[in-house]
Amino acid sequence: MTTLVINDLHVRIDDESGHKEILKGVNLTMKTGEIHAIMGPNGTGKSTLSETIMGNPRYQVTSGDILLDGQSLLDQPVDARARAGLFLAMQYPAEIMGVTNAEFMRAAINARRPDDDPISVRDFIKELDQNLALLDMNEAMAERYLNQGFSGGEKKRNEILQLLMIKPAFAILDEIDSGLDIDAMKVVAKGVNSMRGDNFGSLIITHYQRLLDYIEPDVVHVMMGGRIVKSGDAQLAKKLEAEGYTGLRDELGLDIKLTDEN
Amino acid sequence: MSKTKTFCELSDLQHYSQQLQEPAVAWQMRQQAWQATMTAPNPSFAKINYRPWANLQGQLTVASQAVPLPASTAQIAQVAGQPVQVRLSTEAQTAGVEVLDLVAAWQQWPDLMQQYFGQVMPWTSQQLAATHYATVNSGVVIRVPANTKLQAPLTWDFYQNGTGRQLNSQHVLLIAGADSEFSILENRRTLGSDQPSASIVEELVLLAGAKVRFAAIDQLSLPTYLARYARLATNARLDWALGIMNDGDVLADFNTDLNGQGSQSEVKAVAISTGRQNQGITTRITNYGQHTKANILQHGVILSDATLIFNGIGHIVKGARGSDSQQENRVLMLSRTARGDANPILLIDENDVRAGHAASVGRVNQEQMYYLMSRGLSKDLAERLVIRGFLGSVLSEIPAAEARQILTDTIERKLIDGQRHRDRAQ
Repeated sequence: MTTLVINDLHVRIDDESGHKEILKGVNLTMKTGEIHAIMGPNGTGKSTLSETIMGNPRYQVTSGDILLDGQSLLDQPVDARARAGLFLAMQYPAEIMGVTNAEFMRAAINARRPDDDPISVRDFIKELDQNLALLDMNEAMAERYLNQGFSGGEKKRNEILQLLMIKPAFAILDEIDSGLDIDAMKVVAKGVNSMRGDNFGSLIITHYQRLLDYIEPDVVHVMMGGRIVKSGDAQLAKKLEAEGYTGLRDELGLDIKLTDEN
Repeated sequence: MSKTKTFCELSDLQHYSQQLQEPAVAWQMRQQAWQATMTAPNPSFAKINYRPWANLQGQLTVASQAVPLPASTAQIAQVAGQPVQVRLSTEAQTAGVEVLDLVAAWQQWPDLMQQYFGQVMPWTSQQLAATHYATVNSGVVIRVPANTKLQAPLTWDFYQNGTGRQLNSQHVLLIAGADSEFSILENRRTLGSDQPSASIVEELVLLAGAKVRFAAIDQLSLPTYLARYARLATNARLDWALGIMNDGDVLADFNTDLNGQGSQSEVKAVAISTGRQNQGITTRITNYGQHTKANILQHGVILSDATLIFNGIGHIVKGARGSDSQQENRVLMLSRTARGDANPILLIDENDVRAGHAASVGRVNQEQMYYLMSRGLSKDLAERLVIRGFLGSVLSEIPAAEARQILTDTIERKLIDGQRHRDRAQ
């Protein structure tokens, strides 16, 4: 079993507009075998949390810690965190010309293996074909350049394909449902559910409860104003769907202005 | 501008020519070229300062001790300053392809030499050319007969001699007969690590209707002036695919003249500069004939403190009606201390033409790096993939699979070396 602990995490982003503290003390403990969902209104720090866990250099951790099995990840660059077992399905995957999807996934798998023991071409292709079939993806997708010219839906499926091929201990899915129709969402859910087991944990970030109808979470967290304000079981998501974030905020007596509030 | 001291006395040159038993006409040419070295201007290439490295050095002597030719499967192989080794394929022999060492060509093909040698690259117009023609001490002449169609490429491997102080001044002359069709795969490397500088001139003559695909992979480590000049007759077509993967400082001067009506040429070049290396690459295509077509596509990558300059020159002369000149030059810089430039230069002296250009100098996209690394790829590997993608748009355009594969492998080798050098320096 692997454990990921987020401990009183404070994160700042430095951009043209100056310094802005986005996460203001996030606490979270996840174990493999569990699916956690984080819900929350826009602009509340959900994506910042996922990017910071992964190690995006644009985000500055000002205090707190991120621990994988007790080891701090803060001084580890993104590639080392990935090899340690983290995976982030991104909202906006980069497009890379001249590098095929298959070639990229093989490089990612081999990055986790000893130099003198790369995955055999036969094993790789077998696994790739199985996963393409599971995700209703055309075989030609493997030979296309990485995300180059992919539609929004294709990019999301391709993130899940990489997840299935790389088999990380923890996968963070950052709004994997955005821009997906119901059919595509079911396919994505099928992919994630196929990973469920004792050696896999996931943190699903979403605005809407709908995805959670297909991937049932063990724990649901609500994030507002850069903190987790409430955690519960799958019922919490349903309650939110009915009452909205303002309802929960007022119930908790929080003094937070929601971005999209009129 | 001060002139550098001449590389040798005229009497040395005469002695050398006599040792080779050159005909009078060859000696006269050397003599005129030698005189031109004292009066001809240095050639000028925009934004490239080659003075510190491109002046030819070395001793003009007939090689006393031959450097062994490395094992090579090429049909034509030569170490600069030494005789050529020719092992033509059965296909090329049957087709009547003929190859002679430059010295033998002066003796056996005097008419052909007078007609073509030094005619594609003007030999007294500028300093580096004049120096080359005065000192040329090795070379090869290739004739492909009219109407010859070759399936397999003509392969040739050329080596600079970096051992000892002998002069490296090598010349290649190719005559592609009318309506011939074939491809060439050239490899250039350096033996040894002493550092005299070198001069290489290639002249390609394409007679009417000839179609030639020329792929070259340069991995030179001596400071070198490398000129590739071509002249195309009516309806001829020449496609260049050049991998400029040198480890030394190189001044590359690529020039194609579209003389004949309807002739066309495409130059696809990829280059990588690493360490403290300087590479300046000027690619010029001139449309003289009507309805001629030129296309230049150059992509380059710079690591560490290296310099890489691409000049693309598209020149359409007056009267070349219905001609087309296009070019794209792009440079990717991987470090803050890299120096690079991409200069498109269009010189248009005719109205009824089409011309266009694109150019960019940029840095590696950090979003792409983050994405690749987020899947566990090391920074170096991620960087190589992004670079491969950047060069890939040129690479994928190279028609010969064999040349493409060799070039892909060479790029990988050069990048790994460059990254290792950089990582050590940090």
